[in-house]
Amino acid sequence: MIGRISAKYAFRSLGRHPRRTVLSILGVGIGCALGMIAVAYYGGAAEMQIRAACESGTGHLRIVPDGWTETQENSLRLTDWQAALAAARKTPHLKSAAVRARVNGLLAFGNRTAGVEVLGVLPNVEREANRIVAKSELEGRYLQPGDRGAVVIGKALARRLDVELDDDLMVTLSGQDEMRSAMWRIVGILATGSREIDESICHVLLEELNEVSGFDAAGEIALLLDDHEFIEPAREYLDERLGQRNTVITWKQINRAVAANIEGDTAFINLMSAIVVLVVILGITSAQLAAVLERRKEFAILTAVGLKARHLTGVLMLEALLTGVAGAVAAMLLGGPVAYWIATEGINIGEFFGGEFAMEGVLFDPIIYGDFGPWIILYALSVSVAGTLAAMIYPAWFAVRTNPADALRTV
Amino acid sequence: MNDDNVLVSAGDLTKVYTTGTLEVPALRGVTMDVRQGEFLSIVGPSGSGKTTLLNLIGALDSITGGQLRVLGRDMRGLSRRQRADLRLTSIGFVFQAYNLVPVLTARENVEFVLELQGAGSERARRAHEVLEDLGLGEYADRRPLEMSGGQQQRVAVARAVASKPRLIVADEPTANLDGENAEILLRMMRRLNAEHGTTFILSTHDPRVVAHTRRVVTLVDGRVHEDREQTPRDVDTALN
Repeated sequence: MIGRISAKYAFRSLGRHPRRTVLSILGVGIGCALGMIAVAYYGGAAEMQIRAACESGTGHLRIVPDGWTETQENSLRLTDWQAALAAARKTPHLKSAAVRARVNGLLAFGNRTAGVEVLGVLPNVEREANRIVAKSELEGRYLQPGDRGAVVIGKALARRLDVELDDDLMVTLSGQDEMRSAMWRIVGILATGSREIDESICHVLLEELNEVSGFDAAGEIALLLDDHEFIEPAREYLDERLGQRNTVITWKQINRAVAANIEGDTAFINLMSAIVVLVVILGITSAQLAAVLERRKEFAILTAVGLKARHLTGVLMLEALLTGVAGAVAAMLLGGPVAYWIATEGINIGEFFGGEFAMEGVLFDPIIYGDFGPWIILYALSVSVAGTLAAMIYPAWFAVRTNPADALRTV
Repeated sequence: MNDDNVLVSAGDLTKVYTTGTLEVPALRGVTMDVRQGEFLSIVGPSGSGKTTLLNLIGALDSITGGQLRVLGRDMRGLSRRQRADLRLTSIGFVFQAYNLVPVLTARENVEFVLELQGAGSERARRAHEVLEDLGLGEYADRRPLEMSGGQQQRVAVARAVASKPRLIVADEPTANLDGENAEILLRMMRRLNAEHGTTFILSTHDPRVVAHTRRVVTLVDGRVHEDREQTPRDVDTALN
């Protein structure tokens, strides 16, 4: 326990060399601010990527037929999909539950053809759950309930087939037991800005797809939650209610590249932050060791009058704590405005990609907004204080090992 | 004289400093006793072992050979922590210079030692009492750099006596003081010795210090060369 006079001693000792103390605080503050900005930016970027992946049709969770994870076969269908949908709709923190089916097919117009994955949807839910529908430019209109024989395709696909609104497409599907064909009229052309995604969009009503293909069930239910933090509880909830008949998977199992990208970014930024903090710690250690060496005789005299190792360590650690708190304030003053600017103005990475960009069928936002909130205070305090305390360990160890008689004789 | 009155008892005491393979003997067999209430000086040329002897008596350093008992404790087997406890509770120190914490006021310097001892709310009162008693009340709120060398050294004495130790060791306490301040300091120490019975052991080159002490131990080459008593008349004659 540090007494009042000891606390004064620690506090005032910081004022002995104001420039050194200010530089130490600035060193801690700048290092901590850099870490804070990086964590805020990458935290926001990770959030954005997760949101984009989940809202691009994947959902936070997806209920798929048993065996789908291994084969990703579009002909598999959910067992008792209506019961699964009923369970899905009761999932805590559910935003939407989109029922879909996929069938492999071939679109043809004149002498042009294109292989596609036809997606059967419930249009009202899809508009709410899928940013590819909600955020894209739409020529014509999107599907409506009862829209039999209507199809919405992507702009790149339309160009490839050289079609426009109201053209009739010949579709051939891998039906349940044979190849099936139909004619669909183009009622809408979606333009996401991503050629990769625009080449893959082919939406029809779920009932239309089932009727043409001969399947009579849904192939998947994509669940969008209020936040990705609710994934695990929601998954446990569904696992308990679905039993062994269907499988619940997360967005990470579908968008593996995006998940790996986020994990890689997180590991990289953690490593960079650790390196910055380590360099700062070494710098502060050097400064603190110099300060301890300068006060070696003083410590010897205080030891002579009764200052014990535990007490001396406490005094030095209190000095480190004060430096750390001041460093945290400096970090918030230096890094806070930058983090706030990134959180409110965002960084337009779309400029680097020439507009919208996509990966694995995920439509990403062009502007990344950083993460900003009360966590910044906690981050600055914990990193700064932990850093300065760690930096003081060696100087404190050196100080308490000093033999007072040696110090008095040699200094 | 009763043995219970012996505060320090050294028998064939040796201390050797080792630097690499080099061994430097600082004390080569010192035998002496110091009794309760003595006011004695240890004199001798530089390198004679005065400071080393004070460091051993003050429990600042460990002995190499022989015997040393301080305040009834055998110094041979004491750990660093036990020596620290002994210093904290029973021994006061006055050093040559730079001995106050520069960032604390005179009052806080005195209070600091009391705080280390675990003194509670009474420590502020005690610090004030000691400073007033030694005529330092007006300097209580000054930091060391705002005081003269003599005033600083008197505060150092106040710090040393605040915890009412039985023994005070002072290493060259007047070395950096002019004649007037040295005299004030020594008279203050003598008063504490006379009024409170505190035992003072002073190492010095300074004949003014020697003149104040009742007993003079002369060290030469790490051995006691002479151990003589001075009568009060000798002291008065020397001082006048």
